[in-house]
Amino acid sequence: MSGHSLDRHDDALLAVRAGEGDEDAFEVLVRRHGPVLLRLAEQLLGGPAEAEDAVQEALVSAWRRLPEFRGEAAFGSWMYRIVTNRCLNVLRARRPLTPLEAVAEPAAPEPQASPERAAETGAAVHALRDALGGLSPEQRACWVLREFHDLSYEDIARAVGISPQAVRGRIFRARRALTEAMAAWR
Amino acid sequence: MAVNHGAGEEPEDELLPCGQSLMELWEDPAGPRVPPAGHPEECPHCAAALAELHALEEFVTRSRASEAAAPRRELSVSTVMDIVRMELRPGRTLPLGEPDEDAWIVEAAAAKVFRAAVDALPEVTAGSCRIAPVGAGGRHPAGRGPVRVRIEVVAGMTWTVPRLAEAVRDAVARAAGERLGLEVLAVDVVVMDLVEPAGGNGRTPW
Repeated sequence: MSGHSLDRHDDALLAVRAGEGDEDAFEVLVRRHGPVLLRLAEQLLGGPAEAEDAVQEALVSAWRRLPEFRGEAAFGSWMYRIVTNRCLNVLRARRPLTPLEAVAEPAAPEPQASPERAAETGAAVHALRDALGGLSPEQRACWVLREFHDLSYEDIARAVGISPQAVRGRIFRARRALTEAMAAWR
Repeated sequence: MAVNHGAGEEPEDELLPCGQSLMELWEDPAGPRVPPAGHPEECPHCAAALAELHALEEFVTRSRASEAAAPRRELSVSTVMDIVRMELRPGRTLPLGEPDEDAWIVEAAAAKVFRAAVDALPEVTAGSCRIAPVGAGGRHPAGRGPVRVRIEVVAGMTWTVPRLAEAVRDAVARAAGERLGLEVLAVDVVVMDLVEPAGGNGRTPW
């Protein structure tokens, strides 16, 4: 195939070929979408090991389901949905009950850290990550997709499997909880 | 500001002491709003609530910057592809060679050969490629007999549809004869698109 590279093709064509069993086409999609999906899973799950597992499982699941993928959504949006769904299941299994009260606990600076150290960006970033852990799985998913992936309410609704109105409510509750949790850092 | 912890997780709005809906204020901080009647233009409650949101946005911006600066961890593509390659979707089994032979090829493998042959044409890319036996004719033993190929293609504007269809048919017929020994009765070429080179996303479709 003199110089013919699948890398240059768009997702729709690759997804059709992958759906008919072309693994090389699927590999191009995995390389193209893997990094952003991994970042999403890390943001949702908070840890790299679980995130990698979740994305790998999501991709294998996508491969199995590709024959039924009719291209009604873009491949990227479809993968967002599969990865989000898998991460939500992990989060729900991890914490069957999420008391909202847990959210208000501010992630205080570590005791041994000096105030100067605590004021550093790195510490605040960690505090934000900790505060995210206090959100309910759906709040977290909606907020992360909005703030870190710039998805519209409609796209978030499709990824999470709830109505756009419910997305609006989840994002509001998430912001409300996070502003409280981060109050100590302002 | 008091937080209403409802029983469930139903979205609940909150009203600031000035009567402004916090949900509305935060949803579109810069957007036009209809403040409650008698709402002062310079409202300290709204200003304080917006400052809280902006502080959070500041943390988000810093968090995004620190993520972008962090060494990017790569997904282990080979782990995924090892599993995928063990879960082949072979498709139908198609007859190879003479009617009295017992040689077969799976659809996915034949499609791979046909797509490669078509991809080798200048500015042409194959998409879907389906292969099926032609009818259940009585002339051939069970499952044996010629096949029909349906292949979708995208090509550059330099092609005309008739020339493209002919070139694709030739490429498929040649690959079937020389590389597979598969008897192809007909090749249906579906031209999905003729496109200008280099699309907006920098990807050319061939």
